[in-house]
Amino acid sequence: MKILHPRTFILIGLVAVIAVVFQSLTPNYLSLRNLGGMLSAMAISGIVAMGLTFVIVLRKFDLSLAGIASLSAMTLGFALFLYGNLWIAVVACIGVGVICGAINGALVGYGRLPDVVTTIAVGSIAYGMAFVYNGGADFSKNFFSSGIVAMNYTKVLGMKVPILLLLMTAIFTGFLLHMTRYGQAFYAAGENPVATRFSGISVNRMMIAGYALCGALVGLAMLIQISGIGSSRVTAGGQILLPAYTSVYLGAALLGRASIPATIAGSLVMTMLLNGFTLMSVPYYYSDAVVSLVLITAIVLFDPRILIYLKSPRRLVTG
Amino acid sequence: MTTVLDMRGIQKRFGPVTALDNVDFAVEHGEIHALLGVNGAGKSTLIKILSGLYQADDGQIEIAGQPVSLQSPADAIRAGIASVQQHPELVGDLTGYENIFLGNEARRPGLFRRVEHGAMRAKAQELLKRLPVPIDLDVKVQDLASVEKEIIAVLHALKQENVKVLILDEPTSTLTRVEKEQLFKMMRVLKDVGVAIIYITHRLEEVFEIADRFTVFRGGRNIATMTSEDARQGDVSIPQLMLDDEMGALFPPKATEPAGDVFLSVEGLSLTNAFQDISFEVHKNEIIGFYGLVGSGIDELGKVLFGALRPTAGEIRLKGTPHAFASPADALKAGIFLVPGDRRTEGLVLADDVTFNTTLANHDRASVFGVRRFRQAFRDARDLSGKVDLSPPTLNRPAQAFSGGNQQKIVIAKGLYSQSDIYIFVEPTVGVDVGARATIYRQMRALSKDAAVIVMSSDCDEVFGVADRVTSLYRGRMTQPLSRDITRDEVLSAGLMGTAA
Repeated sequence: MKILHPRTFILIGLVAVIAVVFQSLTPNYLSLRNLGGMLSAMAISGIVAMGLTFVIVLRKFDLSLAGIASLSAMTLGFALFLYGNLWIAVVACIGVGVICGAINGALVGYGRLPDVVTTIAVGSIAYGMAFVYNGGADFSKNFFSSGIVAMNYTKVLGMKVPILLLLMTAIFTGFLLHMTRYGQAFYAAGENPVATRFSGISVNRMMIAGYALCGALVGLAMLIQISGIGSSRVTAGGQILLPAYTSVYLGAALLGRASIPATIAGSLVMTMLLNGFTLMSVPYYYSDAVVSLVLITAIVLFDPRILIYLKSPRRLVTG
Repeated sequence: MTTVLDMRGIQKRFGPVTALDNVDFAVEHGEIHALLGVNGAGKSTLIKILSGLYQADDGQIEIAGQPVSLQSPADAIRAGIASVQQHPELVGDLTGYENIFLGNEARRPGLFRRVEHGAMRAKAQELLKRLPVPIDLDVKVQDLASVEKEIIAVLHALKQENVKVLILDEPTSTLTRVEKEQLFKMMRVLKDVGVAIIYITHRLEEVFEIADRFTVFRGGRNIATMTSEDARQGDVSIPQLMLDDEMGALFPPKATEPAGDVFLSVEGLSLTNAFQDISFEVHKNEIIGFYGLVGSGIDELGKVLFGALRPTAGEIRLKGTPHAFASPADALKAGIFLVPGDRRTEGLVLADDVTFNTTLANHDRASVFGVRRFRQAFRDARDLSGKVDLSPPTLNRPAQAFSGGNQQKIVIAKGLYSQSDIYIFVEPTVGVDVGARATIYRQMRALSKDAAVIVMSSDCDEVFGVADRVTSLYRGRMTQPLSRDITRDEVLSAGLMGTAA
């Protein structure tokens, strides 16, 4: 809504600088083909990050992402193995995410348990359950016949399905968080749960909704990831935690507050960096470190409290 | 008498706004000097300059005859100025003496510089011995009463040896009558040992009770400094000094028309350990008032009526129909709105703006099929903020940027937006200046045109002044039925001692 906020220009400037730097280092950076690749790469981490945004807006943490991802992925493979039907598998995969998320939300909300420990525990249980289906071995039966592999490169409305799903998730979550009463309730419940309850909104229900949505989008992201890999494995989703948190926090630092546009911006900046490093053949084990470094630098540079402090050091004292 | 603090020609601007305009302000050795003025009059700015948080653009400050330059809080402390903030920041998990010496812990020599608890405790006891109030310094601060926390904060400020000026910023706003007496006792002891106290308050009656002199600020200027004695004898009206235009009566006229239908009736309502057997009726077009101290049960009564707590016995009827509320959501749906006593934690989402807060409690009105009606909400919020006289009327400003009185006006706008039948106000004017108080009381009277209004407060004058029928709560029981024919003193003594005098 506040499109012309000065921070928007900072963001555009940052994207432009990254683009120019990598273009000068690797000539293919801004080619159409690579831009398409960037968007595909953004699909998985972007969708997870948008789900996580709801939990962060509630001022909670969700460290169960990887565990839920693993269970979702294996459920997907198992459903394909049993039924060979893509739609049943999609419902199962996302449904498992919703259930795990709702358990997180119920424990943190109604159960008043600490969010960090609770979500670590739920994530570990989910990860353990992922081994139950097949003793930890992969599923790949019915992958071609069900069409899940084709999903990765089929184009609908001129877009590859993963990119279309990213776009649809962005529109849906953005609408939900910024245009509806539920979005207002998410922000209120995160900032002041007591006043929110006194305004007639059930904070506990918002917790369940937020975590469940986060779990659902983890499931959706796994659908995309598995369709790319071509088999379900327990290690799927092992790498989603850092990019998701980086996207949300980098975006919030850039635009001043956690929101869907901010998360998209954070995800975009992060994807552009990772993609550039890949083109330059920087080993993957360095790129995680570099992304984390960028995250911390961005927070230091753009956090509004730090900006206030730099303008007038005394104001921090008065709060 | 010698002048211990002398500020001359103090000038402070924030951008285009002049916060202090050529202000002179002086405090004598060992006096209690009240600093008065509506919010935004310049008192806080002056205090912040004195504590080194802000720097004056122009002017001199002398302490005990020596010119000083206060560039930081550390400078101010070194110069002998100690201040206690309005909401003292204490560490709830630490004990009283640990809080007093926070940042100055006694340390044993040696490798680990272990904290020497014995020495700290002894030193704290010695500090406390100067004061007439017994406090257990070994108890965690979170378990202490408000006044004890305030005194811990004062001791924290006084641990420096050379304190000449002590600044207390609205220390009484959350204290009960008895606690206030304790605080005043402590202030008199400090005064006797020669500490000058600058005392900021919104409660004007306290000025005559405790202050030797007072200074009134208005629009960034020092309007008047006089002794309380002169003011009393000369029949000076402090509210008139504080307000630009002559303020009308603080309280609006009482209801002239007879009360309408019964909107809410309560029968035998009880909550274990809070209140017992409360019964009353409230009609449309009337305001009823409950006077009660902190701990008398008024806070819990408000929360039970609003569904935030569940009663252990009794019945609540709305327009004749019995209701049992499982949550505030149920109560809101049934047409009850609570303006809570603690607006910062219970009333507002401080980081969000006026429109957000105004529309939060009535999503049905603010959205269509769940989708927010931004324009409509903005228009409604604009109308309501005009109605409650919000200042500044900037709707996209976060609630935390408003003064206490204006924050309360936002909560009232939120109540108006909810279009309820019954409004419950708990401590509606804590920390609210005189000008805003009048507006809030007027709003309550206006609300009662179409609704029933209940006021619960530990300020007897407030209850008596604004309500049509009043009673008091003492240790969880109503001292008498709601009555129109009761004097202020009867209400007061019943609330303090349980029986009407």
